[in-house]
Amino acid sequence: MKKLGDKILAGYSGLMFAFLYVPILLMVIFSFNDSRLLAVWRGFSLRWYESLMADPTVWAAFYNSIWVGALTAGVSMVLGTMTAFVMVRYSFRGKSLLDSALYFPIVIPEITEALSLLLFYVFTGIPLGGVTVVIGHIAFAISFALIVIRARLVGFDRSVEEAAKSLGANELRTFFHVTLPIILPGVIAGGLLAFTVSYDDFIKTAFTAGPGFQTLPLRIYAMASRGGVSPELNALATVTLVVSLMLAVVRLRLSKTQS
Amino acid sequence: MRRSPKTNAGLLASPTVVYLAIFFFAPFAIVLLYSFGMIDIFRQLRPVFTFEYYFEFFSSVVPGVFARSLLMAFATTVACLLLGYPMAYHIAVKSVRRKETLLLLVIIPFWVSFLLRTYALMTILDVNGIINVMLSNLGLISKPLSLIYNPQAVLLGMVYNYLPFMILPLYASMEKLDKSLLEAAGSLGAGPMRSFLRVTLPLTRSGIGAGSILVFVPAVGEFIIPQLLGGTESFMVGNLIWTLFLKARNLWFGSAVSIILIALVILIIGLYMKYISRGEEMAI
Repeated sequence: MKKLGDKILAGYSGLMFAFLYVPILLMVIFSFNDSRLLAVWRGFSLRWYESLMADPTVWAAFYNSIWVGALTAGVSMVLGTMTAFVMVRYSFRGKSLLDSALYFPIVIPEITEALSLLLFYVFTGIPLGGVTVVIGHIAFAISFALIVIRARLVGFDRSVEEAAKSLGANELRTFFHVTLPIILPGVIAGGLLAFTVSYDDFIKTAFTAGPGFQTLPLRIYAMASRGGVSPELNALATVTLVVSLMLAVVRLRLSKTQS
Repeated sequence: MRRSPKTNAGLLASPTVVYLAIFFFAPFAIVLLYSFGMIDIFRQLRPVFTFEYYFEFFSSVVPGVFARSLLMAFATTVACLLLGYPMAYHIAVKSVRRKETLLLLVIIPFWVSFLLRTYALMTILDVNGIINVMLSNLGLISKPLSLIYNPQAVLLGMVYNYLPFMILPLYASMEKLDKSLLEAAGSLGAGPMRSFLRVTLPLTRSGIGAGSILVFVPAVGEFIIPQLLGGTESFMVGNLIWTLFLKARNLWFGSAVSIILIALVILIIGLYMKYISRGEEMAI
């Protein structure tokens, strides 16, 4: 009797996993379909990928996504590491306040963050474009990078730093030659997470990009809300998905490397 | 000369603090100024302080949109809890050998953005989508079913996207569950139903609370899912804010609406914190 209950439970979980995965798998499969009709299988083809490659607006969006993500990741990594040090190594008045302020950008609904930044740009007269997008992405990516780097720093064995200092290395030298190499996997993982939240972001980008600037998510959204589903869009979504998954796998590997 | 540790901490933290002060917190102050009419159309500060945009809120259709968003977020949370609880239980308690794999299967959807997952759902539900084309090829339907652009499609999309956010904290709380307590309840004569209600459920309270807040808060402000899967009758606060700022350019009313949304979210999180601390008192 008990065994039957467990089997039903396992079957139920299997169904729910199917619910989570089947839509994405079908989206990927039908991107290779040799038919303009989305859901009638006509044989394997790369024609939709070829038509993507021939579309300069897709290339522009891809290029924008990459440089915005890279810049966001670079700045978030540096600022995240500096802040992680303060949060892990020092205690001071107002620390818990600072701690919650650093989580705010993750907790608040993104759309309110996005519109407040738009109003800020409107009020200060800063013209919208790629730079305003990067500024906005960094504002929440720091918090994500910080969480990852902080976790790495918490488990850090400080006796190696003591050893370096007793051998005469100053603080800066100790940091770059001892501490940084050890926490580097965490720093890079934090940077990759920052890249990913930037690369996947739609709402904040849509509010702060202005009319002339497009990233991959903006391109996908524009196609999905205008024409609905199409095999080209399946192909574009698949490419975007593969990049996201690759980033995540690298991040997972990094967080598993032991110091 | 060596700097004191305090100066070091200040130097290290200041770039982030300054950055967030300018590009995260100052913008919210500007939203407040707009919502009270303190900035005019020429972007100049003006000596005005008015509640008219907040009054406009209550006299318009907007409270209905808020109510709908809250209802949708609530339905999403309940559905995710009911659907996710047995899954989390299965992974944490019943599956011994495949636990890591199953957990990874819950985490992978986090790596795919909401936009892509919602589009994936569109390819299935659309008028020219997989279900409609298959059914009409089989001759079961003569005209496409309307599976998309209605509140049910939005709810499906919400549950589809938010389910992993519920499962993960539930899993974490069940993982910590001491199984000997269940055995004790059983050997004292409690049936499975009774030991579930009196032991498992109370002990996984923290997971239920954390999962619910992780689903409910972002769901209230959701934009992409109702925009791509919903019709006019599933218009939510996120869509309203989008329209007010990017289409209607009504920055003042839009700001008042946003401030009310933020206040609501802070209130919900505050209530949750209270719930957590009460739980701790009960545990003591």
